[in-house]
Amino acid sequence: MPHPDGTILRDPSKLFFQSEYIRRLIIASYWVVIIAGIPLWWHITSIERLSLPTARVHAQAGNQLRFPVQIHLEDASLSSPLQQLMDDRIRRSPKAWEGLDVKVTTQNDAADSYTVRATEGVPLVSERTLAYPLRSGTLPMLADTLAALLIPPTDPHRVAPYSPRYRLAFTLLNEDAAAGSAISGWDISGAISHHLSPIFNSLSVLHNFTIESQVQFHAPLAFSPVSLDQGYGITPEDLTVFVNSAEWSLSSSVSNDPVLHFVVFIPSAARRPLHILDSNGLPSPSSAFLLPQWGGIVIYNPPADVQTTAPFPAPALTAVFTTFAAHLLALLGVPALPPSVSTSTSASDVLHTVPLTAWQLDALLRARALENARNAQGTLESIVSLVAQIENMPVGRDVRGDVQGALGALEEMYNTASLNRTLSHSATAQTLASRAFFSPGMLALLYFPAEHKYAVYTPLFASALVPLVATAVKEIKAWRKQRRGEVE
Amino acid sequence: MLVSFPRLLLFLFSWTWGILAATPSHEEIVGDFFAKNGAHGGSTSNHTNNWAVLVCSSRYWFNYRHMANALGMYRTVKRLGIPDSNIILMLADDAACNARNRFPGSVYANPGRGLDLYGDNIEVDYRGYEVTVENFLRVLTGRMEPSVPRSKRLLTDAHSNIFVYMTGHGGNEFLKFQDNEEISAFDIADAFEQMYQKKRYNEIFFMIDTCQANTMFSKFYSPNILATGSAKIDQNSYSYDNDADLGVSVIDRYTHYVLEFMEGINKTSHESVADLFATYDFAKIHSEPGVRSDLFKRPLADVRITDFLGGVSQVEVGAGTPAVAAGADDTAWAEDPAAPVETPHIAAESRWQGTENTTTETGPAAAKSHQWRGLRAWGGLLLLGALVGWVGWRK
Repeated sequence: MPHPDGTILRDPSKLFFQSEYIRRLIIASYWVVIIAGIPLWWHITSIERLSLPTARVHAQAGNQLRFPVQIHLEDASLSSPLQQLMDDRIRRSPKAWEGLDVKVTTQNDAADSYTVRATEGVPLVSERTLAYPLRSGTLPMLADTLAALLIPPTDPHRVAPYSPRYRLAFTLLNEDAAAGSAISGWDISGAISHHLSPIFNSLSVLHNFTIESQVQFHAPLAFSPVSLDQGYGITPEDLTVFVNSAEWSLSSSVSNDPVLHFVVFIPSAARRPLHILDSNGLPSPSSAFLLPQWGGIVIYNPPADVQTTAPFPAPALTAVFTTFAAHLLALLGVPALPPSVSTSTSASDVLHTVPLTAWQLDALLRARALENARNAQGTLESIVSLVAQIENMPVGRDVRGDVQGALGALEEMYNTASLNRTLSHSATAQTLASRAFFSPGMLALLYFPAEHKYAVYTPLFASALVPLVATAVKEIKAWRKQRRGEVE
Repeated sequence: MLVSFPRLLLFLFSWTWGILAATPSHEEIVGDFFAKNGAHGGSTSNHTNNWAVLVCSSRYWFNYRHMANALGMYRTVKRLGIPDSNIILMLADDAACNARNRFPGSVYANPGRGLDLYGDNIEVDYRGYEVTVENFLRVLTGRMEPSVPRSKRLLTDAHSNIFVYMTGHGGNEFLKFQDNEEISAFDIADAFEQMYQKKRYNEIFFMIDTCQANTMFSKFYSPNILATGSAKIDQNSYSYDNDADLGVSVIDRYTHYVLEFMEGINKTSHESVADLFATYDFAKIHSEPGVRSDLFKRPLADVRITDFLGGVSQVEVGAGTPAVAAGADDTAWAEDPAAPVETPHIAAESRWQGTENTTTETGPAAAKSHQWRGLRAWGGLLLLGALVGWVGWRK
């Protein structure tokens, strides 16, 4: 085909950008950009993995929290046999006595030591004192009592995991207010301040509580109670599914603090009285039950002669809240006093409004501090091992800071003598260790097999690099040939 | 779909007969089970709370069945007592409110639409584009921004049993999310390991319905995980049935038959996961479901379905005073081995399958309308062909 008029065919070698010097400059500039870009590319594609104090974490994990426990016994002739008895018990079950160094002394030198006084009456417990009939014959019993006070048995399945903050949700549920004689309201603030505030005050070292309450007028059960001669009954199997979570909304979700639920259930007027049945199908004397780590439920049957809807009668509310107080203590792991001893004010119905004895509170503080320390150590170890195991896991400044903070709190925990400070350090350590573990930046990049990486990078880079390499090789060849020609 | 009318009838007949024949033997199994475990009636599980993570990872209207899979599981775990606050439901698309849904606000898992799975009491925690691999892994590992609300978090502890159900389109060692990213078997395995290290679970029951599903749990290495999937490697997982009015498949086979089994379970049932695995049948599911229990410590016959899909089952009656509570341990929770579990079972079963039973009754009528529709379609096609031929001939 002939050229159209007006166009002139130019010699390619005469074009300005085809001059040897400029062409080589252009190719070289591409290479300069690529080589200069490699560090940047390396930087933006690599994951920030700051080094963690691994050695400190492992050293800390081996540490064991120790609590010196001094028992002051005035009678020197009894103190060394008692020491022996206590040592025997510790040797027999070292797991239960974990972390406790029990020393029986005759001098009362430490402020937080426990005192055993002689008495001729029933064993009495007050603040840090135990009055006990002291004779050489009663020493084994005394040792058992002390064991029950110092390391009370707890059920880890019932007790809610430690949290510095809890939300308590109180709910008054009318199964069906439309059926008549419902409970229209309750003096919740009065009941809480009267029955629960003493507990909140005693436990203020351990927890902060947020309280919410509500009244509901329609709360159907998900099963039908069985009909009895007198009233209705809930079988043990139905009791396990009593909470109709699909239809009852029991707590708000305003915060991420763990929630403990307390529910008063008013059966519909058509199904009263409603009893809890035991495994033999007989009504149980109790109308309350506890769901481990969840909360407590009380079933309240208004008296049959009440025909109108009215607020909660005060005496009944007292009974309900006495039960709730017991539930709360059980859920928070507050140990009960051993049955063989009683408190100085021993009216059983006000038992729960009496502030806790120092024996109980100390045992709880020790148990919670041990739990927290163990959790913090375990969490720190798992962070270190996961970071080593999962290569894509980033470790940022916040994680490293929290790990160091948790280690610091653990170290301080060992160096403090006060039980309250020990607990607060242990709680700090646990909170920081958890925060480090749950740091949003720690989410590992997704796993890609090697062939995926080639599949992604090859089309991207091969198409650009192959011509570049080819021209570079060609230019170098030409340049060497040229030089040889010049030399010859 | 192209099943001829007599074969359809035959199938329905044999199916009904199978159900009738199966019921007494099922009772026998339950009876044997009680006799065996009568001495120690309680569950052997060691948990105090139950959680469920239900994930549908597919988008688009034609993946309606995946939404229905996840919602069917949601209905079941809720019915068995897991509260909404303990269910994390992730739905990658909103089939209920899709413009193409002829039944707005509803999702059905049975041809004939007997049971609305969407209902009026549903809480979808992650919806649409929130369903990503990253968010799923954040839910599992707990690595959330502080601003994330409680309802979107998996707040489990060392006493939690977790049921993880996933459905979507997958392949060898991956599951597709939202048509633009994938989660690999390694990612889930690593996430479970992180949960194990932080003591975020007591036991996990992992169930997945996707093609080559069994590859998804092949990489797990953390203890106390029981896993089951719908199809082995190089096998597809199939859909169950179409609904003519919706125009799409409504549920997958594997999930359908699992849910059918679950309908026989109520909150107090004693059926074990071994019973569930025993119902797996290639003839029905058309793929070979797998079970992985080497990481799991308890014998499968002792693992109740309700250990994972139910609410908690331990109650301490009369924990009125701390002293009593200390004594009244788990012994307070005794159960009656003779408790009848069959009555609600049958009622519930008929509810799930009721729609199919009605299909049996309305079978001939439905088939007739089907035939008429086919005739009409062929007629239309013929007319079109004739017109095209005429135009072509004229030119």
